[in-house]
Amino acid sequence: MIIIGEKINATRKAVKPMILERRETELIELAQNQADAGAAYIDINVGTGTGGREDEVEAIRWAVTTVKAAVAKPICVDSADARVLAAGLAACDGHDAMINSVKADPDYLAEVLPIAARHDVPVICLAMDLEGIPKDVAGRLAACQTIADAAGAHGVPEAHLYFDPLVLPIAADATQAKVTLDTLAAVKDRFPAAKTVMGLSNVSYGLPARAQLNAAFLAMALYAGLDAAIMDPMDSTMRAAALTGTALMGRDRHFRKYSRAFRNA
Amino acid sequence: MNQTELIEKINFNIIQGRMTAEDEGFDEGLEGQPAVTELIEQAVEAGIDAKIIVLDGLTGAMETVGAKFDKGEYLIPDMLASAECVGAAMDILAPLLADAGVESKGKFVLATVAGDLHDIGKNIVAIMLKGAGFEVLDLGNDVTTGRIVEAVKANNAQFLGLSALLTTTMREMGVVIKALEESGLRDQVRVLIGGAPTSEAFAAEIGADAHCRDAFHAIDLLRQMAA
Ligand code: B12
Repeated sequence: MIIIGEKINATRKAVKPMILERRETELIELAQNQADAGAAYIDINVGTGTGGREDEVEAIRWAVTTVKAAVAKPICVDSADARVLAAGLAACDGHDAMINSVKADPDYLAEVLPIAARHDVPVICLAMDLEGIPKDVAGRLAACQTIADAAGAHGVPEAHLYFDPLVLPIAADATQAKVTLDTLAAVKDRFPAAKTVMGLSNVSYGLPARAQLNAAFLAMALYAGLDAAIMDPMDSTMRAAALTGTALMGRDRHFRKYSRAFRNA
Repeated sequence: MNQTELIEKINFNIIQGRMTAEDEGFDEGLEGQPAVTELIEQAVEAGIDAKIIVLDGLTGAMETVGAKFDKGEYLIPDMLASAECVGAAMDILAPLLADAGVESKGKFVLATVAGDLHDIGKNIVAIMLKGAGFEVLDLGNDVTTGRIVEAVKANNAQFLGLSALLTTTMREMGVVIKALEESGLRDQVRVLIGGAPTSEAFAAEIGADAHCRDAFHAIDLLRQMAA
């Protein structure tokens, strides 16, 4: 399973000043720690909620350039603003990257997909449209189809699409975990070359012992066809769930990763 | 890289369980470095005797793997990874060990006995026997006594090779010899046995004709038998 390290996100209290004050050493440390813990991509979201668009463009340029120079991992440029994405990708300048994210919004797709095509990078595609997150599998699949069609039209290959089936808190609606898992399986079925990705922790919002729910959900999602997760790679419970689920799915040749993590446990 | 270094590298990578360059090993961070397949090809290209590669490179490495398994350092998948490497190596070496065009020295039925899945040693023996000019009928692993006796009979085989790697399954070899006696086939066929837990004393005990330490020992013994 591909881990996308989620920690460099300016909405987190500890990260916000790091971005605003350009604390280079701390930023690199946060990226490196995630890489050391097994992250294949380092997500960077500089949306602090303060300042304007130009500030964010400046911030993403700085953050990407800083991380890219110090940590040998691809960067997942994370923003809901096409200009920030464009600036982040430009700053990557050949360094492997990914775009996080688009949804089934035709205008936005027309802005972002050309960036993905130009830089030849994968894109995370949220299974939602302008009305929000559909409550059922058919609705989410339809959103994925809209994105896939647009991607085809803009020359982004299916193999570069990472569909996120999205997950709503089960505390409010207990059927939602299964809707997400069924969407995963349906996406795999309809877009066989595409990959799937998910941020899992939403599922447990509002319930106790969240780590336990998140870990079980990750294992089930791996069975349903999850390829990548946006998560905290330093979270040992989640790491264990990822290693265990991958091993049980027969996707860890000779149990190398599983055994290496646990043989002396 | 000279011969010793190359053999050492092959040995190391079998112990690491790395078949091809992209494979992970037991230890971290070896991806990308040449592994067993690439190294064996190098060794062959460098003209190193295939027999030396088998004896020094492969067999020795599997002994180390066994010792590590014994100590609990290696788990079953680790052992299997190494076993796969030996299989891949033998696929490359087989044609070199077998010099074609020799007239048949006799029909040789070969099997790992019932309940035993270890077939690496037997497969090496099969290749060596073919190389030495025998017509080999390899029945595979976990072969029932009934099937072994049937194959000896149906093919009118002059030789039978039995392999067992477990102290629990080596007893089955005695059962096979008894069954041959009961079928009246014992006199037509020479029975050779091998596998780590077996010994000369054990061969005598169950009434086998010979015990072989390794595949090359088997070829020597067969040569003596023919003389
Ligand atoms: C690889 C391996 C496995 C692999 C086998 C894969 C395969 N396709 O063969 C796997 C992982 C499947 C395996 C499983 C098991 N294994 Co295991 N395995 C080994 C290991 C590490 C190497 C064997 C090997 O391939 N050696 C290399 C070859 C080249 O050598 P060889 O077989 O001895 O053959 C040479 C000679 O003996 C001779 N020879 C052999 N047969 C014959 C036949 C004839 C006719 C002739 C002439 C010559 C000859 O010539 C060969 C070539 O030179 C040994 C440890 C060891 N050091 O032997 C344990 C070992 C044999 N396994 C062992 C055990 C316990 C098991 C399991 C029970 C483990 C478990 N807990 O599940 C299972 C049993 C499965 C079964 N039912 O058979 C024990 C046996 C202990 C005992 N007292 O019986 C050993 C000794 C490990 C240990 N130290 O505990 N195993």
